[in-house]
This record gives sequence, structure tokens and C-alpha cells, in this order.
Amino acid sequence: MTGPLTLAINGAHPRTVDVPDDERLLDTLRWRLGMKGTKEGCRTGDCGACTVLVDGETTLSCLTLSREVDGSKVTTIEGIADDPEGRKVQAAFEAEEALQCGYCTPGFIVALTGVRRELGPEASTAALVDGLQGNLCRCTGYLAILRAVERVREAPR
Amino acid sequence: MPFTLEQPTTVEEALRRLADPTGGPAVAIAGGTDLLLDLDEGRVSAGRVVSLRRLPWNRLQWQGDSLVVGSTLPFARLGADPAVRARLPGLVDAVDAVGSLALRHRATLGGNLGRAAPASDVVPILLALGATVRLVGIGGHRDVPVGRFVRSSRQTDLAPGELIESISIPSAPVSAYVWQRVRPANDVSQVGVAVARSDSPSGWHVALGGVLPAPTRVVEAEALLARRRPNDAEVELAAQAAAQRATFVTDKRATESYRRRLVSTLVRRAVARALRTEVGG
Ligand SMILES: Cc1cc2nc3c(=O)[nH]c(=O)nc-3n(C[C@H](O)[C@H](O)[C@H](O)COP(=O)(O)OP(=O)(O)OC[C@H]3O[C@@H](n4cnc5c(N)ncnc54)[C@H](O)[C@@H]3O)c2cc1C
Ligand code: FES
Ligand code: FES
Repeated sequence: MTGPLTLAINGAHPRTVDVPDDERLLDTLRWRLGMKGTKEGCRTGDCGACTVLVDGETTLSCLTLSREVDGSKVTTIEGIADDPEGRKVQAAFEAEEALQCGYCTPGFIVALTGVRRELGPEASTAALVDGLQGNLCRCTGYLAILRAVERVREAPR
Repeated sequence: MPFTLEQPTTVEEALRRLADPTGGPAVAIAGGTDLLLDLDEGRVSAGRVVSLRRLPWNRLQWQGDSLVVGSTLPFARLGADPAVRARLPGLVDAVDAVGSLALRHRATLGGNLGRAAPASDVVPILLALGATVRLVGIGGHRDVPVGRFVRSSRQTDLAPGELIESISIPSAPVSAYVWQRVRPANDVSQVGVAVARSDSPSGWHVALGGVLPAPTRVVEAEALLARRRPNDAEVELAAQAAAQRATFVTDKRATESYRRRLVSTLVRRAVARALRTEVGG
């Protein structure tokens, strides 16, 4: 079975597409809508590469049925710079060179943006890092990513 | 196997759809963090998936001294609630242990109970707190203590077509859950220990996760913790009793003997953590 799915992606007007009932949000974004910024690392909820914001909450798009989030607002890495917080996070990753191959980076940037929005500007480094525990990186050894988290925390509001 | 998704908005409709034999077997989905993988990997096969997310179960409320958690409330919302944090710190320890924050935005208490994994981080604290599961079926409601609801590994007391509506949890300001894993997030706990002290009837409850065939209370350890503030020697005896009593396994995450040693360490840590909010004694 297929059915209509209406999503407002990255601040754009809501758009309706027909999707199979069992399609994951990850596949709708990447293959149906051609938005390849969101990555597939594991498809089992373990790596965080597929993280997007659904109505502002960090969400694993590989474990989310698209039709269950019908009517939602979705933010992906492609739109993250339109959010002032997202822009700050992106700039911090750039300044700290917190990436090597870059495969995990969209997930980290979207997750950190979401966690900052959820916990507020006063959130401690430990709380922010806790919010990133589900994001894996196989290249950097995390130190530069931790520096980027610090930089976001210290950035002027 | 492809499936169709049904998204009822009332409990009656959800129960009717689950019981409807036309269109093949149906299965309920809440957060989907277990079920979607089970479907992908063929452990569950169903042509119809009935979503519970639009049912009015996505909330919590207090009934006297007990917290009633709707089965489909995501863990992140449960763990962030200030009253829950104050009155059920052990429940919050367990909820915060599940997966990652993004996972907790979707995963639910009802789904964790429905799955009944031996390594669940949530079942041990529900056992220690004396929680009760409220089920609903075409024939009405029934209330089942968690210890009877979770029967064995992946075996529950749910009858076909029945759903978990809510979980009722008596508050226990002195309670804690501690766990050990290879990785802190998105990994299965090797063992977990939950403790809670109740005032009526007075006494400690101790429950273990990561044991077979299902998380279990250890009454031998509970008896040894008799006093409100047990001393170190009493805690030590209880820790040893817990380690001796349970059935551990060797698997890729830990050996049987390592698990046994971990449990006694974690019992000591859990009691200390539970008492941390009480100054003096
Ligand atoms: C990456 C990852 C990490 C994880 N980490 C942990 C962890 O640290 N600790 C832990 O304990 N678990 C963990 N889990 C397992 C899982 O997230 C939890 O068990 C979660 O609570 C399941 O809830 P859900 O709402 O997603 O369940 P679903 O997948 O929707 O459902 C699970 C089962 O319960 C049934 N069900 C759901 N709701 C109801 C209901 N209301 N009434 C009757 N039956 C119902 C479903 O039919 C299904 O059989 C992890 C999973 C993943 C993928
Ligand atoms: S692809 Fe979704 S968590 Fe790895
Ligand atoms: S930069 Fe390569 S996985 Fe993180």
C-alpha cells in the first residue's frame, strides 16, 4: 500500500508525495526526494548518521516510518544553516576541523543543533555530549568534535 | 516482507484492527525501535502494522502517590519530567540508560515491556518499584504486576489482540538503577541492578537485568538489606547473595563469571546511589 505524505522540509512549503507504507524517512529523503545529505551508516539505530529533526526533535530517520510523521516539519543537514543555532554548530565544526571523511558529520551537526535547542543555551558540555552519545565517528577520534562542542557553547549568543 | 500501516486514533479501533483476521496477521508498533528491526530481520512477520502513536496514551499523570505512564509516551519525555525526576530517581536512571537521546525521542515503555528482552534496562527498575501493567483488550481491562507480565525471554502475559495501556509505578524517592556496558550508548547492558526502598511495607527491593531467562528480583538480597540505612557489611552480604542467586550466561558481551562479579559491585553502587539524596540517616 502507498499513501500521501506531507512534509515541510527545511522551512519550505509543505509538499506531498506518495510513499509506500513501509518506507523509512531516510529512504524518502535520500531516494524519493534526492536529498543525499542525510547519511545511512547502519540502518539499525546504532550510528546516528541518519539523524534529522522531526518537529525539532533529534530523530533516527532509519528507524522512522515516513507515514507516521505525516504533517511534520523536518530539518535536514541541507537546511541546517537556515537555523541560527545550526549555523553556529556548522561554523564550529569547520573552525575545529572536526571531520575527516565527513560521513558522520551531517548527523553530528543536526544532532548537536537539536540537542542545543532542546536543552537550551545553558546546557553543560556534559549534557551536550550525552546528547551525542548515539553518534559514531570512525575517523576523528572525537577530540576535534568535543572541541567543536566547546566552541558552540562559548560562541556569543 | 512489505507491510501496510494502519494509524487508528481510538483504542476501540486499534483493538478491532489488531483482531481483524482479514489481510493477515497484524502487529502493534509504538516507537518501532525494536519492531522495525525485527521485521527487517525476519524475526517477526506481519502484513499489517497497527500504529499506537495516535492513541491518547502519550501522557503521564499522578494518581495519589503513583505515577501512571501511558504506554506510548516516549522515554525522553518521561525522563525530562521534573516530578518524575524528584519522586522516581531510579526510573529516570533506567530511562536515561536506554540507547541514545534520538532513540529515546521515539522508544517507549510499552514497547520495552512488549519486547521483554532479558537485558532490558527498564524491566529491573519496574520490578524493584513494584509496578503494575494495565492491559486492555476487547473484553476490558486487567492489571498485572510486572513480575508476572514478563514471563521469560521475549515472553509476556499479553493475550492475542491485547495491548498495554499504561504502567502504574508507586513513587520511591530512594531508588536507583546502575548498569555496565562495553560502550555507554547504544549497547546492551552486560548486567543492570535496580534497587528501591519502600515505606509500606517497609523494605528494600533488588532486581537484576541481563540474567536469564528474564530480569528478576532477588529476595535473598532484599532480606539482608533489612534496615532503612544498611551498613557496609550488610550491603556486602546482600551483594554477595545477589551474585550467587541469579543465572548468568556467557555471551559475546561478557562471561558468566564476570557478570557475577559485576552484579555484586553494582549492588553496592546502586544502594549507595539510592541513598545519595538522604543526608545523614
Ligand atoms: C540502537 C538501539 C539501542 C537500544 N538500546 C537499548 C537500551 O540501552 N536499553 C534497552 O532496554 N533497550 C534498548 N533498545 C531496545 C528498544 O529501543 C527498547 O526496547 C524500546 O523501549 C522499545 O520501545 P518501542 O516503542 O520502540 O517499541 P516497538 O519497537 O514499537 O515495539 C516493541 C514490541 O512491543 C510491542 N508493543 C509496543 N507497544 C505496545 C503496547 N502498547 N501494547 C502491547 N504491545 C506493544 C510491539 O508489537 C513489539 O512487539 C535499543 C534499540 C536500538 C535500536
Ligand atoms: S543509519 Fe540510522 S542510526 Fe545508523
Ligand atoms: S569523519 Fe569519517 S566517520 Fe566521522
